[in-house]
Amino acid sequence: MTSTASPDASPAVSLAGIEKTFGRTKVLHGISLDIPKGTFLSLLGPSGCGKTTLLRIVAGLESATVGQVTIAGRDVTQLPPEDRDIAMMFQSYALMPHMNVRENVRFPLRMRRRGSRDAQEARVAAALETVQLGHLAERMPRQLSGGQQQRVALARAIVSDPAVLLLDEPLSNLDARLREDMQVELIELHRRLGLTTIFVTHDQEEALSLSDHVVLMNAGRIEEQGPPLAIYEAAGSRFAASFIGSANVIPVAVETVGGATMAQLPDGSRLAVEAPVAQGANHLALRQEDLMLGPDDTARSEARSFAAVVETRVFLGARVRYVLKVGDLSLKALAEPGRLYQAGDRVIVTIPPGKARLVA
Amino acid sequence: MSLSTNTGSVGTPLLPPKGVSARVLGGIAEDATLSAPGVFLIILAFILPIGQMLLLSIEGASGGLTTEHFTRFLGDSYYLGIVWRTLRLSLLITVIAAVIGFPLAYVMAHVGPRLRLWLIILVILPLMTSVVVRTFGWMVLLGRGGLIPFTLWKLGLVNRNFTLMQTESAIVIGMVQVLLPFMTLSVLGVVMKIDRRLEEAARTMGASFTATLRTVVLPLAMPGIVAGSLLVFTLSVSSFITPSLLGGVRLPVVAGSIYEAATKTLEWNFAAAQSVILLVGVFLVLLPYLKLTGRRHG
Repeated sequence: MTSTASPDASPAVSLAGIEKTFGRTKVLHGISLDIPKGTFLSLLGPSGCGKTTLLRIVAGLESATVGQVTIAGRDVTQLPPEDRDIAMMFQSYALMPHMNVRENVRFPLRMRRRGSRDAQEARVAAALETVQLGHLAERMPRQLSGGQQQRVALARAIVSDPAVLLLDEPLSNLDARLREDMQVELIELHRRLGLTTIFVTHDQEEALSLSDHVVLMNAGRIEEQGPPLAIYEAAGSRFAASFIGSANVIPVAVETVGGATMAQLPDGSRLAVEAPVAQGANHLALRQEDLMLGPDDTARSEARSFAAVVETRVFLGARVRYVLKVGDLSLKALAEPGRLYQAGDRVIVTIPPGKARLVA
Repeated sequence: MSLSTNTGSVGTPLLPPKGVSARVLGGIAEDATLSAPGVFLIILAFILPIGQMLLLSIEGASGGLTTEHFTRFLGDSYYLGIVWRTLRLSLLITVIAAVIGFPLAYVMAHVGPRLRLWLIILVILPLMTSVVVRTFGWMVLLGRGGLIPFTLWKLGLVNRNFTLMQTESAIVIGMVQVLLPFMTLSVLGVVMKIDRRLEEAARTMGASFTATLRTVVLPLAMPGIVAGSLLVFTLSVSSFITPSLLGGVRLPVVAGSIYEAATKTLEWNFAAAQSVILLVGVFLVLLPYLKLTGRRHG
């Protein structure tokens, strides 16, 4: 930014034109990103999109082929990981198996020579209290459950008060319930400590629920970024629409009829879509939960409904997922389990106003 | 995962069904049959000869039992010197093999699979040649005017008549070369299993490369280093061809002394007594090692 910017206003982490090539494969195509202090940022994308590589470049575990990494105003591009003020939490937790919990959590303080031994022990105790593991300090990692190991890894990551906390899919090895608990704890921890956090995940729900800022990556590029709600509501590309909110993305013919933009489905039925329509947008994005199903005799609202046939029904508990056929086209719908339809039933699908969007 | 372990025992009935004890007995008989050839071989090839050696070591000249062979050996400072040299050199060889073998194994674990295969072949290459040929090779390299003394002389470090032959250094050099593969491969097996993320995690926590080696890799590689040390130590204590060819008659080791007694002076009882002493000596040195590994695995 400008030279007059105060240090407080400078981003905690700044990436400029990061490119990475493995052999002949280019996995990152010029990523630039400024992460303000205290932000919880998610790098979201399918496996192989380069999100983990980008995180490892920030950590210094990989070197960028081209580009610059700045952490807390210091150019660290050429520095090894140990000279960067970071902490990283690994998917596999990477707890030292030959050290007990307390020694594991003290490790970063010991290596960075932060304070006297007593001061270090006090910080370790505080960090273990933060994750509610004070009573297990003398245990070895193998004696802990997966969830407890996770907390130890978290305590070890926050104990050194790093300029940026890097989380590499830390929740993906937990079962569903523990994961939800950990998500809540991560949010609270972030609110309490205000650590700048980069969180890598392939789980869009996790990214949307945890972060202040979501960066959606695809094939080594930033596809879209913004606050979770904006990303969710206004995905502008086919990829973003199908990845976030797992929307149905349908190729359509776009036509303007009397000032209203209409999308023609492959079976010939027409739907009114939201303005404004981006240039070259020729795909319709319909989120699964926005498909309202009604029985065959429902009054059809003009330009908001079309007919479909139920192909499969999957009962999920709180919701029911249907696979619908519209001509040759398959659509997924998430419905409330109020009224159940059988495979083969004809249904009328209604799209509420504002929910049919065109994407490029 | 936790669910499956909780429900694991639910399906098992409380009372064993009829016929279980018969099946268990049948299993034991089956196990005994399967292991019989191995047990037989161990008894024939190890237990019997060692028992015979123990008997021989306490057999008097006119029959009867005696401890004279032991007192002769232990009361003679010449023989005690041989024991001391053997243990000292074996320990030195073990330490040097570990100091070279650990970094070598670490590098081998971190290179690509193809290069690793070539390095393994390179490391075990010395084992593929005859011990006599290999040792004569060292005699050429280490003797007066040989490559190593000549180079040292050219560098101005030693005088022209310098030789490494008939020295303890020659024994150590020759032995380390042969025994290095045992150390390297033992350590390699363990280092390969260390999760690479642990090293990366240590680096992100402020540990330099050397600090990571010291605090993470070395402690975790310890079982491999211990196993390699056991192999190297026992093998070097009991070897006699390399020490006698490179060290010569003025630097005898216990194994060489046993060889002398058994083949040249034909004192079988004395040779047996020396063997027992060597066996006990090795066992005493290895005891702390065995305790160390026992604790790690137990």
